[in-house]
Amino acid sequence: MIRVRDLSKRFGPTVAVDQISFDVTRGEVVGFLGPNGAGKTTTIRVLCGYHPATSGTATIAGHDVSTDSLAARRQIGYLPENVPIYPDLRVIEYLRYRASLKGVPARERRAAVARAMAKAGIEEVARKLCGHVSRGYRQRVGLADALVANPPILILDEPTSGLDPNQRRRIKQVVRDLAAEHTILFSSHILTEVEDVSTRILVIHRGRLRADGPPQDLVAHSAARHLRVVAACAVDRLADLLAGVAGLTVARRSPLAPAVGAVEAAVAAGSDPSAEVGERLLRAGIAVHELRLVLPTLEEYFHLMTEGSDRDEERRLADDAVAGGAA
Amino acid sequence: MNGAWVTFRKEMLSYCTSPVSWIIAVVFYLWRGWEMTLVAEQFSYYRGDQDLFPASTYSLGSTFLMVMLVPGILTMRCFAEERRSGSIETLMTAPVRDGEVVFGKWLAAAAFFALLWLPSVFVLQVLQLAPFFGADLAFGPVFAAYLGMFLLSGMLLAFGCFASSLTDNVLLAAVLAMLFNFALMRLPQQLGAQLGEVGQNYYVRELLDKLDVMRNFTEWFARGLVDTSQIAFYCGGVLFFLFLTTVSLSSRRIA
Repeated sequence: MIRVRDLSKRFGPTVAVDQISFDVTRGEVVGFLGPNGAGKTTTIRVLCGYHPATSGTATIAGHDVSTDSLAARRQIGYLPENVPIYPDLRVIEYLRYRASLKGVPARERRAAVARAMAKAGIEEVARKLCGHVSRGYRQRVGLADALVANPPILILDEPTSGLDPNQRRRIKQVVRDLAAEHTILFSSHILTEVEDVSTRILVIHRGRLRADGPPQDLVAHSAARHLRVVAACAVDRLADLLAGVAGLTVARRSPLAPAVGAVEAAVAAGSDPSAEVGERLLRAGIAVHELRLVLPTLEEYFHLMTEGSDRDEERRLADDAVAGGAA
Repeated sequence: MNGAWVTFRKEMLSYCTSPVSWIIAVVFYLWRGWEMTLVAEQFSYYRGDQDLFPASTYSLGSTFLMVMLVPGILTMRCFAEERRSGSIETLMTAPVRDGEVVFGKWLAAAAFFALLWLPSVFVLQVLQLAPFFGADLAFGPVFAAYLGMFLLSGMLLAFGCFASSLTDNVLLAAVLAMLFNFALMRLPQQLGAQLGEVGQNYYVRELLDKLDVMRNFTEWFARGLVDTSQIAFYCGGVLFFLFLTTVSLSSRRIA
């Protein structure tokens, strides 16, 4: 439904989005994850036809967003980050206006507006002025606006930002309910939300796509996993034993008792040496109290993908500078 | 043209519910009514030629208000407010053409402007009654004058839309539009005076003639003369500024 290829967007010298490519297929709920300023909103705006891409292509249900923008926009229901609504219109008037602007035929309009209000749960504020509704309702009015023409694709930019926990829960529930009928791409920097709702996540940082996959898979194959081993032997012996296993780097050793040691070792991405470790311990005749591959939480993973990669990059730049100075 | 029609209806609703429009209407009607009463009194007192009465109302202060200030005030919110509040994002990501939105907004401003003006025709009707003139006025020139007024205002409103699309500051948009109106009213005469003898610079003089909206008014429309070249000029002006507005909005997509 959404296909993005080598998409870049520059604002003058600033590169907001740098050559990202991804697909969203029908029926998926994709979380677009990244810290503030990572390029999420810019990517979404390009997809919705608000900004032109500097290079690369994006198609929505087969329509190119730059050459066939009108047809592409017909396929999308878009909820911007700060929901802008006209304060002098009533909620129902605003939705009727948006429905007619989106080409919902006059005889279906009343039903379409009622359906969108029911889905977003805003029937009780229908007669209120848009300027007088609370932030939570405002967000849901925006959501009803995105839904009113019943588009196949929903693009939601930070749908829960600035909401209290109850409102956030409510929006999450709405998004979950909508997943049955719509393909959804939604951005967020709150991990639990993405984890709860989405079937797949895209991690974007500094305009580049850092990861793409189901949340559990990303975590299971990430470099932030570690192996925890507790065995009945001196901690140094245990550490020596583990150091010999390929793909393991001993990170922390702690003697629990005179004859029981605990060692935590980082596991290289993509490998799972727990079976080998178990076998070695068995061969050495050491009783194993605990042998466990500890997966990072999505939060730790996110930190590693963003902050961690920043540190790597800074180190590389510093090395380059040193090398340059030496030359 | 669905987008234009929907935008038109929404904008008309905004104009009709906005306090600014009501303030403009009240100020204009009070001022206009008071000025027309004074002029009618003078005509009765000096037994003036009543057929000249409508023409003498065109140069009143309230006309100046309507032509100089009101177009800028009506159109200042068109796009500047949408940009300021961010609603331009939802507007431009809806499946409508930029040109339709621009045309709808301009049409609503022009229609509301016409609504503000039309009651002054009824004032002329009332003035035909016994306590005032008690005689018929010639309405041909009046209609020609109103046509001219709408053509001119249409162009000024189109410029107002353009000014509004350039900034997210509502006040700046209004000031830009007013400066343009003022320049259009004063500059062609001033420049014409610098041109030297009649017969020199023929084309420049012709162009300035067309641009000289005050003279178009006093020498043509107000006398009941309608020249197709002037209609073409004002319609062209409307299309030109609406085109510029569309380009200004779309530049975000072309960039």
